[in-house]
Amino acid sequence: MGFEKLLFYIFAAVTLFAASMVITRRNPVLSALYLVMAFVSSAALWLLLEAEFLGIVLILVYVGAVMVLFLFVVMMLNIDVATLRARFIHYLPLGLIVAGIMVFDMFLVLGPADFGLDQFAKPQSQPADYNNTAALGQILYTTYLYQFEIAAVILLVAIVAAIRLTLRHRPETKYQDPSNQVRVRKGSDRVRLITMPAEPVPPSLTATLGATHTEMTE
Amino acid sequence: MLDNYLHILIFILVASLISIAPPILGSLLGPRRAYAEKDSPYECGFAAFENARMQFDVRYYLVAILFIVFDLEIAFLFPWAIVVKELGMAGFMAMFVFLGILVVGFIYEWKKGALEWE
Amino acid sequence: MELWSLLPVPVQSLIATVLIILPLLGVVAWYTYAERKVIGYMQVRIGPNRVGWRGLLQPIADALKLMMKEIIIPTQANKQLFLIAPMISIIPALAAWAVIPFDAGLVLADINAGLLYVLAMTSLGVYGVIIAGWASNSKYAFLGSLRAAAQIVAYEIAMGFALVGVLVAAGSLNFSAIVMAQQGGVWHWFWLPLLPLFGVYYISGVAETNRAPFDVAEGESEIVAGFHVEYSGMAFAIFFLAEYANMVLIAMLTTLMFFGGWLSPFQGIPVLESLFAGVPGIIWLLIKTFFFMFTFLWLRATFPRYRYDQIMRLGWKVFIPITIVWILVVALAVVFEVSPWWSATA
Repeated sequence: MGFEKLLFYIFAAVTLFAASMVITRRNPVLSALYLVMAFVSSAALWLLLEAEFLGIVLILVYVGAVMVLFLFVVMMLNIDVATLRARFIHYLPLGLIVAGIMVFDMFLVLGPADFGLDQFAKPQSQPADYNNTAALGQILYTTYLYQFEIAAVILLVAIVAAIRLTLRHRPETKYQDPSNQVRVRKGSDRVRLITMPAEPVPPSLTATLGATHTEMTE
Repeated sequence: MLDNYLHILIFILVASLISIAPPILGSLLGPRRAYAEKDSPYECGFAAFENARMQFDVRYYLVAILFIVFDLEIAFLFPWAIVVKELGMAGFMAMFVFLGILVVGFIYEWKKGALEWE
Repeated sequence: MELWSLLPVPVQSLIATVLIILPLLGVVAWYTYAERKVIGYMQVRIGPNRVGWRGLLQPIADALKLMMKEIIIPTQANKQLFLIAPMISIIPALAAWAVIPFDAGLVLADINAGLLYVLAMTSLGVYGVIIAGWASNSKYAFLGSLRAAAQIVAYEIAMGFALVGVLVAAGSLNFSAIVMAQQGGVWHWFWLPLLPLFGVYYISGVAETNRAPFDVAEGESEIVAGFHVEYSGMAFAIFFLAEYANMVLIAMLTTLMFFGGWLSPFQGIPVLESLFAGVPGIIWLLIKTFFFMFTFLWLRATFPRYRYDQIMRLGWKVFIPITIVWILVVALAVVFEVSPWWSATA
């Protein structure tokens, strides 16, 4: 038990450290990488809670996919940090107000009145063969079926929105369509072999052709 | 259950040690004779014209966004895959509708040409 | 055995970890030798033959040479990220091995979500490539890493869908359970009922590891070496190790998920079964894995490089539709208990 607690404090400290590095680094790429670190250590915290499926999915989806997009964006947009910083003091009061409201909100939800060991009994630690994923599957596709299908619709909206916002066709670029290329058949599409009879060459022409040939080789 | 994850934690620690050791060894044993040409970025014989970190086609972002959507779909498929036998036909239909909605999105991508690489 | 159980758990897992990683690194080292030798013979050359008997000590010579080389750090590079990138690419490649079973019960971490863990670890491999390309601050490296990233993410989806098919068939995320679900001889291994998924998984595996014919990320004839063009000495060697460790991992996973893992191929055949009954499971596992490792080399020696638009088309427009359809087919087969694979008694 003590060792688990130690691990919890280590991972919690790493999460907090990484999170504070995210907002203090000047280089946005470094910030994004610290965010990856924060996600990984939060995944470790979830694993300590025996939320096996959620912990690994956090790594798979957030670290393996969402942060790849983040990195793409911050690396390739070449954000100019100096101009971003220029108005920092100007926006500071607004930022502090928003942060204050969020802290207050979190206090309302997570405050001692509704949270803590006296409100919720400490969960029993699960036996070794307990299958978190199967338990989740048992309720997700039955009890929460409606919400599950709503998730599909939200993902559909995401696909459509992403395409509407970012897809640009550039008519001036020249490219081959690989789908058409693989549809080419061996017989008629690639090469056409034509049989044609050899035409007899008149003797006068042979003489002139032969003459030019010798001239050229000289 | 957590015992198994302790094994993984130790495994990852050992793996990180193994990944750190070779560069340290290399920097101790290898020489370090730096000069401007050697330390300049690779180019075919001339000095690089501009910063390598240029902006690039928005298509790469689109691929990354579509990847996130499909990755989430896979995350939803995992718990379903291991209980589909117990859930039977009802479970199958639940996923059939889910995939059906997403296949609509996939067809949309296809028809819009978002999957073409021009 | 008595002594073993007396040891504290962390020490046990430390020893087991070393027992997995060291042979793995050995296999990786001599895999590079095998690659040069096999491709050499396929191209009617001899391959390395100077260091040791038939060149067998070549990997050691290579390692020593790389160790003595300078690690060049370009002036314009981001130094920290430049040095961290190779580590980020090898740690997940090694970490995935923690949950791989080598025989019945012979596994370090027998977690329930084994397959999910491996998928999560392999999805981290893309970071090493992106960071290396960006930190180098070189056009060739940057282009290579962009190509690699878009390619890896496209094939990761096909791979994930193929894995879901395996899960539906086996009904578990645990590797040992997946292997045990294939019991009953060659025709019960999942390659047959999941044949399209096996094809998709294996080809995606080749594309994920940036191997020929999908090696546009490295494409030495156009962008020299892609994301690791600026790397030298041991820093380069780590990328190399990570790539080969990933290839071995893909071969091992293919064996476990589609070819019955450590199960004997003679199960259910009257005479041969008893004849080969004494062969330990790990031998079968290694034979099958080595076969798939060989096919990686075979592919490289046989096929010319794909064009980039063809790669993206194959991943998005061919593999994803195939896998979605086949997942539903397998799910129906499991629900209706199609024999002989999913009959109710089994």
